[in-house]
Amino acid sequence: MKSLLNLPQCYLADLPEEAEHTPALVTEAWLAVQRNRERHLAPMGTDVVIRVVAGAAQLWLEADSPFMRAALEFGPQELGFSRQTLEAGLRELFGSLTAPQLEAWIEQDLGHPRRLDEFCASAVERGSRRRSRAVGPRTLAHVTAGNIPASAVLSLTAGLLVRSAQFVKCATARSLIPRLYAHSIREVSTPLASCLELAEWPGKREDLLLALIDPAECVTATGTDAAVAAVRQHVPVNKRFVGHGHKVSLAYVAKEDLTAGSLPQLIEALAGDVCAWDQLGCLSPHVIYVEAGGAIGAERVAAGLAEALARMEETYPRGPLPEKQAANIRSRRSLYEIRAAHSEETRLWQSPASTAWTVVYESNPRFQTSCLNRFIYVKDVADLEAALQGADDVRGRVSTVALAASGARAPELARGLADWGVHRICPVGAMQKPPVLWRHDGRPALGELVRWTDLEEP
Amino acid sequence: MLSELSSFTRRLARFITNSGEAARTEPQVAPAETFAVLALDLFRLQYSLNVPYQALCRARGVRPDTIHDWRDIPAASTSAFKEFEFSCLPKDEQTGGFESSGTTRTVRSQTFHSAESLRVYEASLLPWFRRHLLPEIPRNPPAGQPGLAFLSLTPSRADAPRSSLVHMLDVVSRQGWFADALFAGQTDEDRGWILELDRIHAWLHGVIQKRSPVLLAGTAFNFVHLLDALQVRNLKLRLPAGSRIMETGGYKGRSRELTREALHAGLARRLSVPPEYIVTEYGMTELGSQAYDHVAGESPVDRALRFPPWARALVVSPETGTEVPEGQAGLVRILDLANAFSVLAVETEDLALRREHGLELVGRHLESEPRGCSLMAV
Repeated sequence: MKSLLNLPQCYLADLPEEAEHTPALVTEAWLAVQRNRERHLAPMGTDVVIRVVAGAAQLWLEADSPFMRAALEFGPQELGFSRQTLEAGLRELFGSLTAPQLEAWIEQDLGHPRRLDEFCASAVERGSRRRSRAVGPRTLAHVTAGNIPASAVLSLTAGLLVRSAQFVKCATARSLIPRLYAHSIREVSTPLASCLELAEWPGKREDLLLALIDPAECVTATGTDAAVAAVRQHVPVNKRFVGHGHKVSLAYVAKEDLTAGSLPQLIEALAGDVCAWDQLGCLSPHVIYVEAGGAIGAERVAAGLAEALARMEETYPRGPLPEKQAANIRSRRSLYEIRAAHSEETRLWQSPASTAWTVVYESNPRFQTSCLNRFIYVKDVADLEAALQGADDVRGRVSTVALAASGARAPELARGLADWGVHRICPVGAMQKPPVLWRHDGRPALGELVRWTDLEEP
Repeated sequence: MLSELSSFTRRLARFITNSGEAARTEPQVAPAETFAVLALDLFRLQYSLNVPYQALCRARGVRPDTIHDWRDIPAASTSAFKEFEFSCLPKDEQTGGFESSGTTRTVRSQTFHSAESLRVYEASLLPWFRRHLLPEIPRNPPAGQPGLAFLSLTPSRADAPRSSLVHMLDVVSRQGWFADALFAGQTDEDRGWILELDRIHAWLHGVIQKRSPVLLAGTAFNFVHLLDALQVRNLKLRLPAGSRIMETGGYKGRSRELTREALHAGLARRLSVPPEYIVTEYGMTELGSQAYDHVAGESPVDRALRFPPWARALVVSPETGTEVPEGQAGLVRILDLANAFSVLAVETEDLALRREHGLELVGRHLESEPRGCSLMAV
């Protein structure tokens, strides 16, 4: 598969699957990217780095982009998404990496657009007669999750902005998009791309993990809690560790927003949230809470959503599933099927003769983790308090809440969600479309990587 | 209707006897009454007697007059047994029942029984067990030759009255097939099964001295516990020739997990029971019949699990619910006539490859049960 891609062998991840990885190889690769970083990236201005990154992202969006073409040719089989779903996700991802957005990211997280270039001062700093500079880690190692490609691409981008030599250990068989991204950067700037290394190797290679971590000043890890913990245990206390464990997301529809007029648009947006990346990202909804008392009830929302998912399957089909995951969906459906046969408090809609999509309506407000791959719960709930009570099991683990609310209720509900611990509240339909400068798990992504030097003036 | 079910069980008993005879003499002979006829008749009875099952059929738009092929009989999933009473028996006729294994914190599947339904269970269990574990059973061992001994690593029926596996082994132990029998397991406070190792050791020592071959039965994790204990004590036991093992039922987090090959190699090494005398059984609370992978003492051809002629296993695509071609994986669905008093068609949460003559399990106990606080892997 890899050799079919016909990319120049710049990165370890470009080597054929059977290539043997050793700790010495990892160490050697680290030395090369460190050398290249000192020569090329460290002295580079922020404006140049941003130009390169935005230029590389643009290469993905052009008509007949070779990178998009390769991603769509090999991605469906390697990553398990349909061509359409993958393309939509990648367009969203690379469309967010524009120069103004990247500049805004730096200014937002670090308080000044030139913060990574020189000592500079915000208004507050000027007032206290200080100037400050932020410096990224010289060496930054990433262990990335394999569920969706976005997190590896954004981790790499953040590392470039803070001028780190980077080594990305991609999830097994999930290196395609990060590799293509690195090659697109190389297309714009070979020196900058030479400060990156990407590799994939089967999990449980502790020797390689140690060789990856050893030269790194900072280590990031995304994935299951167990995967993040497995990395963290090897990171010495004197190194910075940024871990992003598992998160779940949900949607909340306020009763005022449930009218016959607004329903079609609401349902399209919710269906988009369920279908984006086949629901596999941490920002994808498991449950949609529908507030009771509106003109439209949760059951009607569920029925409409089922129709919308059936339509989406025509245009953005779900990827094929391994038997085990399909079996999980089938087994879980059968449980709701028999509940539905016995009580009106449960209803089930499902794609015929496939596991492509499933909607379960339950009056029980308890949060349920979905088996994903377009399996969504729609639940009745009296009010936000009841929804949050129902989601108590996942409190502290909720990343995003899509909120359909308007007027005076919107800020009130947002406050309630924020107080409860939600990190991101977005409109329905935007769950998997965070702006690049969003605060991942409620923390500033660039701010997490840098250290500061304050210069106090006499 | 219930009396019709009783008359069905008499037909089933004849079918079992006949197919047992046929299997022994001429495996190709088609019995006069076919599986298909019995299955469709039983479906009709269960549709009218089993209330939750009927609701399920109605939800699928299925009635007895719409089903003409036994393969199309609607299956209840094993997970549904955790919430619904899939029984044709009126409450006042239920005398007991079984529960699936699990800790005190998990929801367990339940089945319900009466004296009559247990008779069906036993009528199904015994011939197929005997054929695979005791093919050459010395009913009357020649004078001077010791009889076969039986050791179950599970708790006794008194200790685990709700376990269908324990019930099965208890029934087996009381057939007059064994000169001696022991149940050497205990339940702990979390409903787990543990072994009384000193007792097992002493008992095995006894059978070795008497040169009495032994049939050793238990779950895979029982055997891992036994192997671990023997390793700690640095013991290898030389069980008398003709000794055999029936292992079943996966690990369920009760011990470290071994592949079947590794488990069998360990049993061969520590107990001197060669792999051709180690038989894998596949059964579950929700089923009246069991499958075995080969006949003890014969060299296994493919170790595919085979159900008796009165139960049929289908491997169905999890996507479409239709039978997969040979060699492909899918969910195991079983149509078991011995489930006369519950639901004959049961879809499990086990993944298997469809083989020419049976099943090869590739994954058991998928995590389909939704749980609010257990987070999926990303």
